[in-house]
Amino acid sequence: MQTKDDLTEEFAARYAAIDDDAPKAYPASKRMLAVVAAMLVPGAGHLVLGKYGRGLLFFATLTGAFILGLSLHARLFYPLPSPTEHSSAPDFVGVLWFFAQIGSGFCYLVSYLLGLGTVPQPSAATYEYGNTFTCLAGLLNYLLMYDVYDIAAGRKR
Amino acid sequence: MHFLMMTLYATITAIVSAGIAPNLHSNRDRLVYGLKVFGMYLGIGLVLSWVLFAIPRW
Repeated sequence: MQTKDDLTEEFAARYAAIDDDAPKAYPASKRMLAVVAAMLVPGAGHLVLGKYGRGLLFFATLTGAFILGLSLHARLFYPLPSPTEHSSAPDFVGVLWFFAQIGSGFCYLVSYLLGLGTVPQPSAATYEYGNTFTCLAGLLNYLLMYDVYDIAAGRKR
Repeated sequence: MHFLMMTLYATITAIVSAGIAPNLHSNRDRLVYGLKVFGMYLGIGLVLSWVLFAIPRW
């Protein structure tokens, strides 16, 4: 027959096992480093947290999506409303597109520095597809930033 | 062309969705979830396209 002490030990062992299995929060400095890395390079936040498989997969997927968009004649949007190729009125919607694209971090910055997508080609048949893929890459990277923060805060593994 | 783009879009979104989905602990679970998301994107996209095709344009 089990005594009270036996039961207490059994429960303690069970809770210890549950506690070992639970995700743990990372130190604040690493948490911040991971989120900043995720902001700059898709997948880098997961790499910082040691999730190498996921990090490389996300890097390849989102960078690939951005490159695919550029190869489909996407244009880069800018943070200030500027006249479009169609009219002299400020393009406020373009600012929203900018916030979507800049989410991809270095992809946008490198493209800008290399002059890729800086000249709009709206007459190209794939222009809208290209814009969609570049924005998709940025918006999905915003999701990855939240995911990195959740992992770093110990809310998920 | 449009179907190819839709497939690529669904693939990219499914990969990220499966990668960040909570409460999936094994790679197999993530693969199954990713395939479901991919299938739903394509399926719902095709259904919507036929619904829109059936609606007359004025």
